[in-house]
Amino acid sequence: MGTIVTIDVVRDAPGDCVDRAFAWFREIESRCTRFDERSELRQLSSRVGQPRSVSDILFEAVRFAIAVAHDTDGAFDPTIQSAAADDVSYRDVLVDAYARTITVQRPLTLDLGAVAKGLAIDAAARELQPLGDFAIEAGGDVYAAGHNSAGMKWSIGIRHPRADRELIDVIRVSGMAVCSSGDYERGAHILDGRRRTPAVGVAGATVIAVNAMLADALATAAFVLGPQAGLALLQRHGVEGLIVTPSLERFETANLPRA
Amino acid sequence: MGDGGNTRISSSLLALSSAAVLAVYSAGYVRTRAAADRFAQQAETRRPFIAVAPAGAPPSTPVAPPAAAPPAVAAANAPVAMAPPSTIAVRRTKRPSKPVLKAPTAIVTPAPAAPVSDPHAAAAEAPPVATQDVAQAPAAVPPVPPAPTRYRDGMYTGWGTSRHGDIQAAVVIEDGRIASATIAQCLTRYSCNVIAALPPQVAQRQSPEVDYVSGATQSTNAFYYAVVDALSKAK
Repeated sequence: MGTIVTIDVVRDAPGDCVDRAFAWFREIESRCTRFDERSELRQLSSRVGQPRSVSDILFEAVRFAIAVAHDTDGAFDPTIQSAAADDVSYRDVLVDAYARTITVQRPLTLDLGAVAKGLAIDAAARELQPLGDFAIEAGGDVYAAGHNSAGMKWSIGIRHPRADRELIDVIRVSGMAVCSSGDYERGAHILDGRRRTPAVGVAGATVIAVNAMLADALATAAFVLGPQAGLALLQRHGVEGLIVTPSLERFETANLPRA
Repeated sequence: MGDGGNTRISSSLLALSSAAVLAVYSAGYVRTRAAADRFAQQAETRRPFIAVAPAGAPPSTPVAPPAAAPPAVAAANAPVAMAPPSTIAVRRTKRPSKPVLKAPTAIVTPAPAAPVSDPHAAAAEAPPVATQDVAQAPAAVPPVPPAPTRYRDGMYTGWGTSRHGDIQAAVVIEDGRIASATIAQCLTRYSCNVIAALPPQVAQRQSPEVDYVSGATQSTNAFYYAVVDALSKAK
């Protein structure tokens, strides 16, 4: 993921659960990265047309990514075209939930970056659950449980998409993940899966959900779909969120837990 | 076959993500947290790998004691009797012989004991686990040369546990010999880089008897047990 992971524990952590929490990031990253040709993900993409049994981690990450793609009609699409096939899509990846196999039907690469990062945060959060109060941050995605050292819900700032050092809003959460998708960190880098062009209707989308995998995927999808369709997506899934357009127009769900 | 096809499965994304996290975490939980407890009292000495006759050989090989015997063994060697290789084999082997999983004594007994009750299953599933009577074998016994063992070609995986987490090994068999061994999954709390020298030794020695790595005894043992587990499936 190439991201810095920060774990904030309010009290002394017993045992080695913090070590184990970090271990989840290493383990999930090493399986799901597309930047290492030896990764399990890359091995999966290298066999076209064959159902492949994969690890629990890779299976769940791919299954969820493909499910989100179906749900958003491809606005969120983890497939990346290859030189051999430039019109691939999520429909070219078959997930067999019973055999727990994945079949890549055409030459393509899967980008599980967002899903894997979310999954790692969520697995780490499970690991830290005995602590009660903690926060995990990885590449702008946060999961916060319990309360901060002041005994309050965790305060999470949402970055202003056009002003580096400003927050456009602050929310308070406990037991929730907060994930943002924006054009400010890496420019217009999120592709609209339906058109394979950079999505431009949204400057930043933030989603609050019970787990980071869902929050991150929906934030990415909302970013691609644009403000109205994105907001409808969040409402359909019963999550809270805030979408800001390049002209700083705000679209938000009814119960954003503003601080 | 597709998971959902073109149908909209929007309402299930929340459930799907929650289930995914649970599935991934549970798999790791079994191999990390529980392993730490399970092996809290395990001796650190590695048990010898005893090569057994390959599949197809007459079952006259001195296999495990009959089902009635194990309790005494387990009682006599309580802490040591938690032989990891057989535990793993029992836990992870999907054999039709359910009694293996149900009989409490079978957990501390080499797996072949139970199939005796079903001769057909025993014949069909011939390969016993790689180690047997480990509870009674002195820990210092040198490994039996595995030379006569011919494995079935293919790739096999196995798990090894340690109190610092588990390791999955993948062993490739070609022409009946160990062509390569690799660490397929490293769920130990320390990086598996510390034992990077070990996987090549498996093919070089045609045996899971790898060197110990100073300071990484637990990881070494987990890898060893993982290879033993994998090889037990290749017989």
